[in-house]
Amino acid sequence: MIQIQGLRKVLNGKAVLDGVDLDIHEGMSLVIMGPSGTGKSVLLKHIVGLFDPDEGEILVEGMSVPNAGGKQIKEIRSRISYVFQNAALFDSLTAGQNIQLGLSEEHCRRVPAHSDPLVEEAISHVNLGPEVLRLLPAELSGGMQKRVAIARAIVGRQKYILYDEPTTGLDPVNANVINRLIARLQGEIGATSVIVTHDVESAFYLGDRIVLLANGRVQASGTPDELRGSRDPIVQDFLHPKLDTEEFNG
Amino acid sequence: MNPRHTAKPQNDPTLSEEGLIAGWLGRLGRAVLVGSRHIGRAGILAAATFVSVLKPAEYRREAFVQAKKIGIDSLPLVLLVAALSGSILAQQSGYQFTEIPLWVVGNTVAAGMLTELAPLLSAIIMAGRVGSGIGAELGTMKVTNQIDALRTLGRDPVTELVAPRVVAGAIMMLPIVIFANIVGIWSGWLSAIALLPMTTHEYVYGVQNYYHAASLIFSLVKGFFFGITITFTACYVGLQAEGGAAGVGRTATNAVVSIIVLIMMLDVFLAPLYKAFQ
Repeated sequence: MIQIQGLRKVLNGKAVLDGVDLDIHEGMSLVIMGPSGTGKSVLLKHIVGLFDPDEGEILVEGMSVPNAGGKQIKEIRSRISYVFQNAALFDSLTAGQNIQLGLSEEHCRRVPAHSDPLVEEAISHVNLGPEVLRLLPAELSGGMQKRVAIARAIVGRQKYILYDEPTTGLDPVNANVINRLIARLQGEIGATSVIVTHDVESAFYLGDRIVLLANGRVQASGTPDELRGSRDPIVQDFLHPKLDTEEFNG
Repeated sequence: MNPRHTAKPQNDPTLSEEGLIAGWLGRLGRAVLVGSRHIGRAGILAAATFVSVLKPAEYRREAFVQAKKIGIDSLPLVLLVAALSGSILAQQSGYQFTEIPLWVVGNTVAAGMLTELAPLLSAIIMAGRVGSGIGAELGTMKVTNQIDALRTLGRDPVTELVAPRVVAGAIMMLPIVIFANIVGIWSGWLSAIALLPMTTHEYVYGVQNYYHAASLIFSLVKGFFFGITITFTACYVGLQAEGGAAGVGRTATNAVVSIIVLIMMLDVFLAPLYKAFQ
């Protein structure tokens, strides 16, 4: 279980997170959504210790992330994998070597990436063929890069997978492919997924539970049906944005 | 009308003497703060690099890759510049020394190459070629979240990225400086016998007259420290990158400028050291 208590973070003089409380239970698929700039990615980065909070606590299976030393943060990160918004594959490594980075350093030294059965299994999970393993990231399309990044996230069978805007920058067809892939993996692997997105359609498709962040706080939280039925104007504005055409027409 | 446009200039507090001094002090304070922050961060990175360097098994493979990139791939350019500088040194000294024996040309070329030109020019070439490359590479990794990805994958960016580059830079500068010395002195000889009224015997006599083991050791010591300075500074500047493609461009420029300034400063401090040990 991941617990976030009273998390506050100020960046460039602005409180991006201002007292966020959140419990992420095992096996669930939690979607964090909200407008751009509301601290969704910042929240995710706190969970893996890439950011230190100004106030508050983050506990991963009872271990405090902000207070973790070198060994403990490694232990925490060994239970969590992270899919970055832009895939963040290493340019100089092949897709196979990138995926293998999700396994232990000792394993990487012992087994060549392109004949590693664990890497081959991971690439087949994301519906890519083994021929992709020898390609460099620059030789892959945006959608394939995202899938390789997801393969890197699942190869180590970590308990928690954090997805940071997994469909951003993709066309609707590829975005659907990635959404279906995440949903399928959730069923097959049984990992706890935390998905950050500002895409309402993806959020309702993927989430068992949805949290809406606004003004640095949890504005609303509940099942997809509960959120749809919410009377909170901020929730309704986010779910059903209205384009003010009068503003454009003068 | 905008009230700002009607205000009299003498009422503007920033134009008064106190305002100017306050502004100047403010800028100075900010510069001191930024400088102190960089020194602190570089110190932390240096300490982490030192610890990582002591674990060669973890970065050995990457160190070999970097050694090829830093050393072998840079060698042709470094040797070309060494050959040109040896030739220029021989010609200029030969044209100046009209009242003294010409074997002094060999002496001057050997002294110039061993004490200054071979390590310094090699370092400047390496700053442009290797420093900008490392700065841009690590800068791109930083702005595209690859450094963060390494951390989340349980890898230490210092062990994976900084240690192999610093070790490769320090080690590869040694053969680079040796070859630069050889090629520089050789091209000086070629120019001397082709363009000046002197013989091979005179040139070799001049080189032997200057040469002593300490000068070669000094040349290598300089190369070693320059190698560390080039790679470490490039890594540090690269890891500070922010702001997308424009930020990476700035990082490459900052890396080269910082390296050249630091190398020149280091050279100034190393010169008296050589005198002391001579």
